[in-house]
Amino acid sequence: MRNIKIENLTKSIHGQPILPKTDLVIPGGKFFALLGPSGCGKTTLLRLIAGLERADEGIIYLGDDNITKKPINERPVNIVFQNYALFPHLNVFENVAYSLRIKKLPKEVINQKVYKILEAFHLEAHIYKLPTQLSGGQQQRVALARAIVNEPDVLLLDEPLAALDFKLREKMLLELIDWQDELETTFIYVTHDQFEALTVADQMAIMNHLGEIEQIGTPKEIYEFPRSSFVARFVGTTNIFHGKLRNIDEEPEIAIPDLGTFKIYIPTKKEWMRDDYDLVMSIRPEKIFISKTEAKNFSNQIQGHVESIVYHGRSTQYNVHLENKMKVQVFEQNEEHFPHEDIDYDDEVYLYWQKENAVLLER
Amino acid sequence: MKIRLGKTRKNEFPFAIGIPAIVWQVLFFYLPLTLLVISSFLKFSATGAFEGVTFSHMKLFLSPTYFKVILASFFLALSNSILCLLIAFPLAHYMSFAGRKYRNVCLFFLIVPFWTNFLLHVYAWFYVLERHGFINTLLLKLHIISEPIQFLNSMPAILIMMVYYYLPFMVLPLYSSLERFKFNLIEASYDLGASFGVTFRRILLPLTSRGIRAGFFLVFIPSFGEFVIPELMGGDKKMFVGTVVSQYILGEGTGSLGAAFTFLSGIFLLITTVLLYILITNLLKPRIYHG
Repeated sequence: MRNIKIENLTKSIHGQPILPKTDLVIPGGKFFALLGPSGCGKTTLLRLIAGLERADEGIIYLGDDNITKKPINERPVNIVFQNYALFPHLNVFENVAYSLRIKKLPKEVINQKVYKILEAFHLEAHIYKLPTQLSGGQQQRVALARAIVNEPDVLLLDEPLAALDFKLREKMLLELIDWQDELETTFIYVTHDQFEALTVADQMAIMNHLGEIEQIGTPKEIYEFPRSSFVARFVGTTNIFHGKLRNIDEEPEIAIPDLGTFKIYIPTKKEWMRDDYDLVMSIRPEKIFISKTEAKNFSNQIQGHVESIVYHGRSTQYNVHLENKMKVQVFEQNEEHFPHEDIDYDDEVYLYWQKENAVLLER
Repeated sequence: MKIRLGKTRKNEFPFAIGIPAIVWQVLFFYLPLTLLVISSFLKFSATGAFEGVTFSHMKLFLSPTYFKVILASFFLALSNSILCLLIAFPLAHYMSFAGRKYRNVCLFFLIVPFWTNFLLHVYAWFYVLERHGFINTLLLKLHIISEPIQFLNSMPAILIMMVYYYLPFMVLPLYSSLERFKFNLIEASYDLGASFGVTFRRILLPLTSRGIRAGFFLVFIPSFGEFVIPELMGGDKKMFVGTVVSQYILGEGTGSLGAAFTFLSGIFLLITTVLLYILITNLLKPRIYHG
């Protein structure tokens, strides 16, 4: 499968810059997710790839072909719209058969292909229904079937599950992963929902409010090793500490005002890392251990006061106030029915974390 | 008064709120219409005395001469509707999609002529079309023509005025059906490989067919009986249904003849309308091969 290579792509709408000069390589045959806050330009990028928008500048390559100026209807690319855009006057069969009829395939081939895909999407019972007679999940399937039956090189998905309820969305995500595995088509999935992106993606890109791409990597790389505080904050929840770098050449530490100094771990030394340099430390809530008793074997510890407790089912969230009035979130897995230690409101607690589990970022 | 929602009493008079409209319609439309049909079969003497029932009025009009008049009206109405549709569709499309921002301005300029007297419109068009009018002067100045063109008292003049007058009746229903049309259906069609033509034929037309049909008949039916515009813009050269009817109805002692002609042309209009309705519905129907 061919890669998509985007070079210097720029787009503004009504004088409002949407995409600054963007460079991006989307690996062919992979499930690629584009994650960003609402209104950041990720849908515009998708529409540019589909050909629904004209780029102001820049080039889009599909493999070695420059498709920047190729008309929409000639691109081997199909899009699944957020609101599905099913043709309301055509039944399910005709909706799915639309692209095949335009290609003027023989009738038997069309029937065979459409029946096959409708069966795969569990829509056999709804062939003659109009889109309005279907549930949201069924409409979603028809939209997917309509795009996939055309056998595109690239399938673009614009927040396709946004209108579905949580359970259905989880199920569809797994189905999408299976489809991608089977077809080996390049899937580009645009979403503002980190859960969806982390679930489906082989590779993902994070876009910030300005339409700039902050980081590209596997979901694990993005979550565990964010390269900027925007990524750390946007993907998952995190605790951010501001401090100064100390003692970089021996036992590196971070000095946080009103809290003290804490040990840090520097896997690879970066150019900006100098003594007294302002930096940001990010620790995920689940990587902090909370206890009322003193514990050893942790590189760092800090004291706090439990302000509130939120029970989530599989985990419990503790909101802890530190001495410097800073709030820290801690997630604990609810592993046991009868935990040996009960932490309650207003308890004085210790928070522990290993230095390797904190991520250091340039401010 | 107690207002109860959810639990409603069985309504014994479901048409109760329609009564004023029904009374009005019966009193001022169905009743006169029936009288008109009856009077077209009645015979009066020169002094106005009733002389009995007759089919002679009907027979008089069942001749090629009068059939030609009816046909002339039919083609006038048809060409007017088609021209209006051809002009109104792009305009309504623009107002609903590309020019959404300017839709209120467009609607304003479309409606504003209705605020002035109809005769003023006609005289304004005289000024534009006459021998030394705006268009002729312009064309002469630009050396496109060397002699002024005779616009007035011709078929084109009638049509220009008709299209001008009936255009809003076509634009408004089209606009309201295009307004509800989701633009990304067009995007989806292109994305699935369709050309502009295919998208227009298979997506846009079927989904706006109601507006097209409504606009078409809103223009077609009244322009069939139109008599003021042909009279003023066409001189007295051309005869249309409206011209003939007005001459007989207003004429001395020829009221029954007018009624008979109205009746006959009305039946013609009814039949052609039904046929056109079927034709248009079929033309705009979505193509479903499977189902």
